[in-house]
Amino acid sequence: MKSATSRSLAEIASLVVMLAVIVIFFAQASPVFLTQRNLDNTLLDITTIGILAVFTTMLMIGGGLDLSIGSTVALCGVVIGALQSTWGILPAAGFAIVVGALVGLLNGFLVTYVGINPLITTLGMLSIARGLAFVFSDGLTIPVFDLEGTQIDAYNTFTQFGEGQILGFATPVFVMFTLFIVGMLVLQFTSYGRAMYAIGGNDKASQLAGLSVRRYRMTAYMLSGLSAGIASVLLTSRLYAADPRAAPAMELTVITAVVLGGISLAGGKGTLIGTALGVLILTTLLNGMKLLSTSTDAQNIAQGIVLLVAVGLDQLRTRNINWSRWLRGSRVVPGGAGAKTAAGGD
Amino acid sequence: MSAPLLEMRHIDKSFYGVKVLDDVSIDLFAGETVALLGENGAGKSTLIKILNGDYTRDSGDVMLDGQPVHFAEPRDAEAAGIRMIYQELHYAPELSVAENLLLGRLPHRQGAFGWMVDWNATREKAREALKLLNVDIDPMTKMRDLSVVEREIIEIVKALSRKARIIVMDEPTAALTPPEVQRLFGIIRDLCKQGIGIIYISHRLDEVFQIAHRVTVLRDGKHVGTHPIAEVTHKALVKMMVGRDIEERAEVRKNAAAIQLGEVVLDVEKLSKQGAFEDISLQVRAGEIVGLFGLLGAGHNILTQTIFGVEKADSGQVRIGGQVVQIASPQDAKRAGIGFVPLDRKVNGLVMGMSVRKNITLSNWRTLAPLGIFSQGKEMQNTHHWVDQLGIRMAGGVETHTRYLSGGNQQKVVLARWLEANVRVLLLNEPTWGVDVGARSDIYDQLEALAAKGLAILMVSSDIEEVLTVSHRILTIYKGRLTGEFMQGDATQEKLLHTAAGGVS
Repeated sequence: MKSATSRSLAEIASLVVMLAVIVIFFAQASPVFLTQRNLDNTLLDITTIGILAVFTTMLMIGGGLDLSIGSTVALCGVVIGALQSTWGILPAAGFAIVVGALVGLLNGFLVTYVGINPLITTLGMLSIARGLAFVFSDGLTIPVFDLEGTQIDAYNTFTQFGEGQILGFATPVFVMFTLFIVGMLVLQFTSYGRAMYAIGGNDKASQLAGLSVRRYRMTAYMLSGLSAGIASVLLTSRLYAADPRAAPAMELTVITAVVLGGISLAGGKGTLIGTALGVLILTTLLNGMKLLSTSTDAQNIAQGIVLLVAVGLDQLRTRNINWSRWLRGSRVVPGGAGAKTAAGGD
Repeated sequence: MSAPLLEMRHIDKSFYGVKVLDDVSIDLFAGETVALLGENGAGKSTLIKILNGDYTRDSGDVMLDGQPVHFAEPRDAEAAGIRMIYQELHYAPELSVAENLLLGRLPHRQGAFGWMVDWNATREKAREALKLLNVDIDPMTKMRDLSVVEREIIEIVKALSRKARIIVMDEPTAALTPPEVQRLFGIIRDLCKQGIGIIYISHRLDEVFQIAHRVTVLRDGKHVGTHPIAEVTHKALVKMMVGRDIEERAEVRKNAAAIQLGEVVLDVEKLSKQGAFEDISLQVRAGEIVGLFGLLGAGHNILTQTIFGVEKADSGQVRIGGQVVQIASPQDAKRAGIGFVPLDRKVNGLVMGMSVRKNITLSNWRTLAPLGIFSQGKEMQNTHHWVDQLGIRMAGGVETHTRYLSGGNQQKVVLARWLEANVRVLLLNEPTWGVDVGARSDIYDQLEALAAKGLAILMVSSDIEEVLTVSHRILTIYKGRLTGEFMQGDATQEKLLHTAAGGVS
């Protein structure tokens, strides 16, 4: 217990320190950074990332990976926009979540039953979902509000998803917090959570222990898609519009944050607390850079670097490299010369 | 007398504070075969890895021709003429024998076509190399078309063609049939005549008496003794390796042979799987331990996997407690009351990055988390029950990751999992592979205790002493067919080996 727990505590602590350093730096650099307004906006801005990160965390602990979440958010939004007048806004929103879940289910099926590598499966789905979003929207941003004035009540309800408040929090923020807490409980106390750690840690052994590895994996992919649907409803409501270009490269941001938070690409380890910190660190960094009028390009570069550094550290940790031996590599060791003599002497 | 070819003196080595080699010495003269014996975990492989430069020793000396040497890397050992031939061979199956022999140093043409391989020269060079051992193999044959022993011979030729002085062979006969073993021994004798020193690692004592000049025995990381082979007996060697008389245990077991057997629990009828096994019928009663003995690749491992639903059978059926069960997956098997302790617990048995507790309860969520939420108290209580019952020892309590447990304790965790799942039938694949002596004895005791409680146990093993020690009844399998059945009192090593090699019982 000591070793495992203290190591994950050390990881959490280092993330907290990292966050503190970034906050202090930007607080010095930008007068706007610590204002209530900026903090509120930032928090609202990260809800999409945060919601997706909860489910990406569970999926990745189970050894999966989903690159299609950003495109799925866009696709679900377009579904709302396209169906709002014929189906009514609320059924359209509900259906969007179903579409998200179906996309996830298809991913899961292809990965677990057909056996396509998750990276390839969801990369393909990334392209398909984005393409469909453009097809269903003719490439245009669809306004999502009561154009005809026939469903006033329904649209008022829908608007609440993005702009309402629950217990003093903006609804999306509340939803995000709730999902984080529920996610933590699920990972900690339920058989579903335990299954994610087990199959991510060793799917072969889990299968031989009698777990239905495929079903658990499929469920995790399905939930990942479902979370894209939920995030999409909140986003569309908040923006009054469905944009086929929405959530660009969002999967990249989410995976960067999650890996930064200590989730391993190999699966089997990590916590949602780590993910929460990863999300905060990454988004704070990007927000701070924005406030300092850094270009989006520079932000992209920074995000890419964070991803590579986080994955690189994860790799080194997983492989448990023997540094002393690595460093010694080419150096002459005591007695090494003797070995050469002996070899040459025959 | 000239200095020995190789001398390793007073070698110490610890991993994470655990001493795995304690003042171990071994020497080897040119033209000699020394057998290195010891149970799993005795330190043989660590010693060899130090010789090969994979590990560095903590203290002690390694001398070649009386000169101290230090190998920091396998490359250094190779330069000094030391060759390893591992149980698992590394070769390119689609390439020819010649290419495999000369890989990385294929001869090239002269002049403008210097970038092209000179195939004639390749063939000639390979032929020369093969002549070193008088081997009659066409150098242009593809590696995959050779038999196992031929591949092993190619590996030896490869070692020789690069100026070997010492060849270490790790269980080279594990996958060989008796005639192939004799062929290999002929080659080993030739090597000795050429002045090469051989370190021969094997579990099979009869082989050691045939081929070795001297024998060095290790136990629990200590040097037990080195003797000329003519001065030791089979029994004495076993005692040196195990530290006690194995027969004693068998005596105890024989007295207990009047065990009350219950009804048939596992009933396998005419189970067949193409290319693996055919027409297998066997029964295991409640309270019975049936040993299934076969040489590597005889089909016994796939048989248990098939009963457990990992592999699919082509025909035949399985009954549990008289009921025909359809088992298409491990989940089905678990539901039917079958547990499975697989080969290679690190890969197939345990989630190494998860705690002892979570590994023990991994197959019993139905009871511990009926609605998907774990009953924490009950889980902890059951975990402690099995930890006490099986004597699972770990440094940091039940939350320790199984990665940090010793092999024997890891195996007990896998065992505990199926007990926690309350199975009626337990299938075991090589249950003490890589388990040290003490824990091995513990596991045998546990299996007996479990059988006494009415569990039906089918144990697959390639370890003849294990089969003889633990089983009430022994079946032998050869090329996918059952070839013999012995009650414990009647079985002998000779009989088992005979039938397991295809002889008529």
